[in-house]
Amino acid sequence: MRRLLLSALLATCAAGAAACRGGDSTPERSTLVDSRDTYDPRSLDPALSTDVPTGRAVGYVFDGLVRFTPDARVEPGLAERWEVSPDGRVYTFHLRRGVAFHDGAPFVARQVVRSFERVLDPRTRGGRPNTLYPIRGARDFADGKARTVAGLAAANDSTVVITLSEPLAIFPKLLAMPVAAVVPDSVPANFGERPVGTGPWKLVEWKHDDYLRFAANKSYWGGAPKADSLVARIIPEPSTAVAEFDVGNVDVLQVPEGETRDWDQTDERKAVLQSAPALRFVHIAINTTRGPLKDARVRQAINHAVDVNAVVAQLFAGRGRRAAGVVPPALAGADTLRAAYAYDPARAKQLLAEAGHPNGINVELWTSQTPIYVRLAETVQGYLAQANIRAKIVQRDASSAREAARKGETDLFIRDWWADYPDAENFLVPLLAAESKGPGGNYSYYASPRFDALLDRARREQNDEARAALYRQADSLAFADAPVVFLFFYNELYAVQPWVRGFQVPTIFNGQRWTDVQVQRQGGAR
Amino acid sequence: MLTFLLRRLALAVPTLVGVLVVVFLLLYVAPGDPVQEMVGERADAETIARLRRELRLDEPLPVQFASYIGGVVRGDLGRSYITNRPILGDILDRFPKTLLLAGAAMAIAATVGITVGALSARKPGGWFDRVALSLTYLGISFPVYWVGLLLILLFAVMLRWLPPSGYGRPIYLVLPALALGSRSIAFLARVTRSAMLEVLGGDFVRTARAKGLRERAVIVRHALRNALIPVITVLGLDFGYYLTGSILTETIFSWPGLGRYVVNAIARRDLPAIQGSVLFLSVVFVLVNLATDVAYAKADPRVAYD
Repeated sequence: MRRLLLSALLATCAAGAAACRGGDSTPERSTLVDSRDTYDPRSLDPALSTDVPTGRAVGYVFDGLVRFTPDARVEPGLAERWEVSPDGRVYTFHLRRGVAFHDGAPFVARQVVRSFERVLDPRTRGGRPNTLYPIRGARDFADGKARTVAGLAAANDSTVVITLSEPLAIFPKLLAMPVAAVVPDSVPANFGERPVGTGPWKLVEWKHDDYLRFAANKSYWGGAPKADSLVARIIPEPSTAVAEFDVGNVDVLQVPEGETRDWDQTDERKAVLQSAPALRFVHIAINTTRGPLKDARVRQAINHAVDVNAVVAQLFAGRGRRAAGVVPPALAGADTLRAAYAYDPARAKQLLAEAGHPNGINVELWTSQTPIYVRLAETVQGYLAQANIRAKIVQRDASSAREAARKGETDLFIRDWWADYPDAENFLVPLLAAESKGPGGNYSYYASPRFDALLDRARREQNDEARAALYRQADSLAFADAPVVFLFFYNELYAVQPWVRGFQVPTIFNGQRWTDVQVQRQGGAR
Repeated sequence: MLTFLLRRLALAVPTLVGVLVVVFLLLYVAPGDPVQEMVGERADAETIARLRRELRLDEPLPVQFASYIGGVVRGDLGRSYITNRPILGDILDRFPKTLLLAGAAMAIAATVGITVGALSARKPGGWFDRVALSLTYLGISFPVYWVGLLLILLFAVMLRWLPPSGYGRPIYLVLPALALGSRSIAFLARVTRSAMLEVLGGDFVRTARAKGLRERAVIVRHALRNALIPVITVLGLDFGYYLTGSILTETIFSWPGLGRYVVNAIARRDLPAIQGSVLFLSVVFVLVNLATDVAYAKADPRVAYD
C-alpha cells in the first residue's frame, strides 16, 4: 500500500510539475558527489576493508601494486610491471619510482612487505588475511609461528619478490583488492580515521554516517584527478537518494530495483541512465547434503520449476541476464552458448517422480529480510508449489540467515554473490569448491572430486586460454549437478547527471576511482 | 527533593546492571556471529579461530562479562569489533544529533499539539474540533516512514524549499523534526483535549469564570495548568523514546544519529557497540523518567517527593 501510494505520487510528479525534473540546471559546485554508500565505511585502514563502502573509499586514498579499471581489467598500480617465474611460483614486482605518500614520505618496497604483514597479523583485527594466504609462510606468520613471511622480500627499494606456496595464476588480481593496498611505515592507532596513502584522493573530513570528503592529490603519480574534491555521501534509504538526485545534490545514483520502471518510462530520466553488467550472481544455494536434495534429479527439478525469465522481468524490471552456470558472461570461462534450465513444471514433476518422490517434497526456503529477496522468495515458492515442491519460507535478519546457511542448516538459501576480483575462480571456488564448504562460501555443501580436480588444475595453469577452458568444464559439470538454482547475473543501472563528464559505471565495486570524472560547468545562466 | 533524586539514582544502578546482564545473555544466545560479520562471506576456519582468540570470544561467558563490567566501571566501553574505534566516542559523537532532532520534534509537537488540543476543548463538536480530530486521526495512523518520504517529495523535490536529507545548518532539521514530531502532535492534541474537557467541567473553572476572568486567562492559567499531568506523561515518554534514536526518521533523512548507529551495530553483531549503546540509552531513559517525575511536582503542587 505504502509503495503504491508513493509510486502514484511519483508518477503524478513525473507527469505534471516541471519542478519535479531533476538536472534542469548545472549546480554551482565543482565537487563530485556520490550517493552510493548506504552505510558508513568500517575504517579507512586498508587491512579492515571487508565491505563495499570501505573498499571503495580505501581505493580513493590508497594504491595497490595493481588495480582494476572500471570495466574490471587489471592494470599496473604501484608496480610498473611484473614477471612470473616459469614454474608460476615467484612473482617479481618492479615498483614505480618517485611515488610519494600524501605526507611526502617516499614509497619504497619495504612498505609493501610491512603492509602485507599487518594484514596477516591477527592483532590488526582486520578479517581478510586469507587474501594473502597464497604467499609462502603467510599462515605461519598469522599463527605467530614465524616472525617474518618467508615468501615476502624487498630485494631493493624498488623491487618486491613474492614467492607463493604453489602456483596461482590469479594472484595479481588478488593484489588489486583494497586489503592489499600499501600503507606508510608509521601506522598510528587512529590511522583508520586519518589515513595516509599514495592514492589520487586525500581524506579531508569524515563525518560518520553522514559523508566523507576527499581532496584531489595534485601530485598523484597517475596524474591529478580532474575534479578538486569528491564527497561520498552516506544515504541509507534508496528513495532518499533518488530525491537527492532529483534536486541535483548528487551526481551519481544507483537506481533502486523497485524504481527502475519510473526511470525507464520518462524520456528525460531515461536519458541519464547508464547500465553495465555487474559481476554479481543472484541465485539460490541448494544444500546438497540434506534429505531429498542429495539427489541431483531433485535439484534439477527445482531448476526446471522456476520461470526465471518471468522473475527477472517482473521482479527485477529486466535488470538481469539469465544464468546458465555460475560464471558471469563477461569473464573468461563462461559458456555463453550453454542453454539454461527450461521452465517446465511437467519435467520437474517427472524428475521428482524418477527420484522417488511422486508426491513431491517439502523444503525450507531461507531468505534475509531485504524486501526484494522476500518478494523473490514468495515468487519462487509459488512456482515450486506448481511442481509439488512445498517450500516453507524462513525469514531472518541477514546475519542470522547467513549463519544458518554457513552451518548447513538451510535447504534453499537466496543469495547474492558479488565478485571481489574479476575471475571465474571467484565464483567457482567460493560458491562450489569442497574446500569452501560453510564459512568459505559454499552454502550448497557441494563436493565433487571431479569439479575440484578441474579447479585445482586451473589454479596452476599459467596459460589464460587453457585456464578458461578448465573453468568452462568445471562450470558445465556443476551446471548439470545443479547445486544451486541458477537465477541471473545482475545488471547495474546508474543515473548520472547530465553535467557529469567521464563517469563510467564500474563492473567491479572498486573499479571507479573518479580520477577522470568532473562537473562540466555550463557558461552563463539558463 | 534532593534525597528523592539521590534515592532514585541509586535505585537505577541495579536496573542498569540488570539491563547489561540481559543484553549480554541475549546476544550470546541470539543467532549471528560478530567474527563472521568481520570476515565476510569468504573466510576460513583458521582465520575465524584466530580472530575469536584475539577478541577473547573463546573465553567463558562469566569471564567475558566480568572484564566488560570492569571496563564499564572505569568508564571504558571498549572498542568496536567492526571499526576498531572507541565506542564511547562514537556514541558521544552521535548523541547530540539525536538530542537535537528529538528536542526539535518535541518542541514542535508540544507547541502545536497542546495548542490544538486546548483550542479543540473550548468548543467540543465545533468545526475546529472536528477538523483537528480528523487530522490527528491521520497523524496517528500514518507511519513515520511514509510521512517522511511525503515531506521530502513535497518540500524538497516539488517545492525545492528545503534540502531532502542530511545534517548541517538548521534548515536540515525542519523536515526530520516535522516527520518525527507528527505522531506526537496528534497524540498530544488528543490527550490535551480530553484532559481539558475533564478539567473545564470542574468547580474551580466555574469559579474563575464567575469572578469575571477573561476566557483566555481561564483556559491558559487555570484549566491548562491542571490538565498538564497527563500531557507531561506523554511528553516524557515520547521524548525518552525519541532520545533512544528515532531509527526510521534518521534513516529516511540520512540523519547521523544514535538510532542508525545502534541498528548498524545490531546488523553486524558488533557486541561491544550494542552493549555500550544499550547501557547509554538506559541511562538516558532513567534520567528522562526522573525529569518527568520532577516536572509533575512543578506542574502540580499536590505532588511532592520526600
